[in-house]
Amino acid sequence: MFSNQKMPEAPLYMEGKWHGKDYSVIKELGRGANGVVYLVFHKGTKVALKVGLDSIDLLMEANVLTQLQSHNEKIGPAIYDVDDVVIEGKTHAYYAMEYVEGERLDRSLKQVGKEWLPLLLIQLLSHLHVIHQHGYVFGDLKPENMIVVKSGKQVCLIDFGGVSKQGHAVRQFTEEYDRALWQAGDRRADPGYDLFSLAVMMVRLCTDKETWNRLPSVRRHVQMLYAIIADNEHVAPYRIPLQKALEGRYQTAIQMKADILHAFHQKSVNVAGSSVASNKEGLGSKLLGGLFVVSMLLLAGSLYYLWM
Amino acid sequence: MAKPATLRQILVVTDGCSNSGISPIAAATLAREQGITVNVIGVIDKNELGEQGEQEIREMAQAGGGMHDIVYPAQLAQTVQMLTRKAMTRTIQHVVNKELKQILGESEMDNLSPEKRMQVAGMVDELGEQSSLEVVMLVDTSASMKNKIAAVQQAIFDFSISLRSRSGKSKMAVCSFPGKEKHLDTLIPWTNQVEKAYQLSSSLTMSGITPTGPAITEAIALFGHIELPEKLANKYQKNSRINEEDGGFMQDHVF
Ligand SMILES: Nc1ncnc2c1ncn2[C@@H]1O[C@H](COP(=O)(O)OP(=O)(O)OP(=O)(O)O)[C@@H](O)[C@H]1O
Ligand SMILES: [Mg+2]
Repeated sequence: MFSNQKMPEAPLYMEGKWHGKDYSVIKELGRGANGVVYLVFHKGTKVALKVGLDSIDLLMEANVLTQLQSHNEKIGPAIYDVDDVVIEGKTHAYYAMEYVEGERLDRSLKQVGKEWLPLLLIQLLSHLHVIHQHGYVFGDLKPENMIVVKSGKQVCLIDFGGVSKQGHAVRQFTEEYDRALWQAGDRRADPGYDLFSLAVMMVRLCTDKETWNRLPSVRRHVQMLYAIIADNEHVAPYRIPLQKALEGRYQTAIQMKADILHAFHQKSVNVAGSSVASNKEGLGSKLLGGLFVVSMLLLAGSLYYLWM
Repeated sequence: MAKPATLRQILVVTDGCSNSGISPIAAATLAREQGITVNVIGVIDKNELGEQGEQEIREMAQAGGGMHDIVYPAQLAQTVQMLTRKAMTRTIQHVVNKELKQILGESEMDNLSPEKRMQVAGMVDELGEQSSLEVVMLVDTSASMKNKIAAVQQAIFDFSISLRSRSGKSKMAVCSFPGKEKHLDTLIPWTNQVEKAYQLSSSLTMSGITPTGPAITEAIALFGHIELPEKLANKYQKNSRINEEDGGFMQDHVF
């Protein structure tokens, strides 16, 4: 997006200026406002390496990742190395992190089906809770910034460029998920900011493109979301927690998580009861699917309490 | 370390080349000379911003020590906030760098280990959040902006939310160019609260004149810290003082 300081092409081989770790570049994974992320090899293992356009912003990200690392729940990629690299005579800061192999949340949902969404959301809420307890807010919450890990449907946050201290202004946001642009509050970082974005994201991921694109580009209002929620079978069961998040009525991610879990439970009970009339095959797979998800959830829940 | 004084920025929102008066690059140089950073956003509909327009935007930002970006109307609000923040960080980084040089002798930030720099980054970020910020938004209201004006209006309102979400003191003013009589009209004098119902469309002109350079030169005068030559001072500073006295609100712009 920024043409200001063009990021030079990475050389095939890089070596850190301070710690001397070496990396051979395999390919570019993506680029954005804060830098370029490469897939690289370090001692035979795949590593993701983010080279910054602006050293301050990149180092802030590294800061946060390092602080969250100590937590035993996996929230984002592990960080291995923070250093400088000289490319074409110019020094750039970079950090090396765990390569998270998987699909972006939106793409992943297309493959595994929308019934996974509440489960992933519940995981995200646990992640957010940890971030909030560290005194931060994630900020730029959107499907592009989360990866569903290939092995075992875990959702992992990437791109910590929006992470902001609570009480500060949110550093980075995306219009679509921004509380201020939905006229539902300001941009001061508080846990409610993330929960708002999460709710919009859930609605959006369950809405078809046409319906979503009918939303006006300016002067959006949460009432428009309530209308979408009301006639969408995927999100309607979660109307209460969604509405509470959109109205900023949650103080913590844990409260929202409890309500989503509750709604999920209600829903699976209803599905099991009401689908008796539908055809046999459909019922069987639906039930199995539902039961599987429920058991996963219970597992996730009990693990969570163990950690607390 | 001392808290940096007020950070001052001019943010130009335009969709094309200037075609009247002093070169905008010279004007941006002048602004920077007086401690004001110039950021520039090019707004495009389809592909209308030619090579020349792009170059001018880039050079203006470079000369003004600021950042630039070229975006679609839908990304405007997000871009305004991001450019402003990044430019602030950069200015503070320069200040911190200078101080470090003084404290550490030769070594400046690039010569600190990444671990030390991570600490400095935290400090720069904190300073950015706490410092005072004054931004003049300079909006191109020449005829070609017609289709984008709704997005610009939203971005203006939105920017005031961003400013109020900061911990440090902030204020903004909004000017349009070309003005009805001068190169520049002050639409919203210094304030930290733009009304939601604020309408920009009435400022649209039918003319194709885009006096970006003169507009920047005149916008410099809005910053109170600058000593102006007698004539200019009479012309601008009185006005802005009067407006500040009624709390930054200007009734006739609030519908
Ligand atoms: N640890 C990782 N493992 C795998 N892929 C990654 C990792 N980190 C980043 N990526 C990929 O690189 C892309 C860009 O990374 P990132 O979002 O951090 O960059 P950015 O410059 O902050 O972009 P943005 O404009 O979204 O802020 C991501 O969308 C993702 O596809
Ligand atoms: Mg990203």
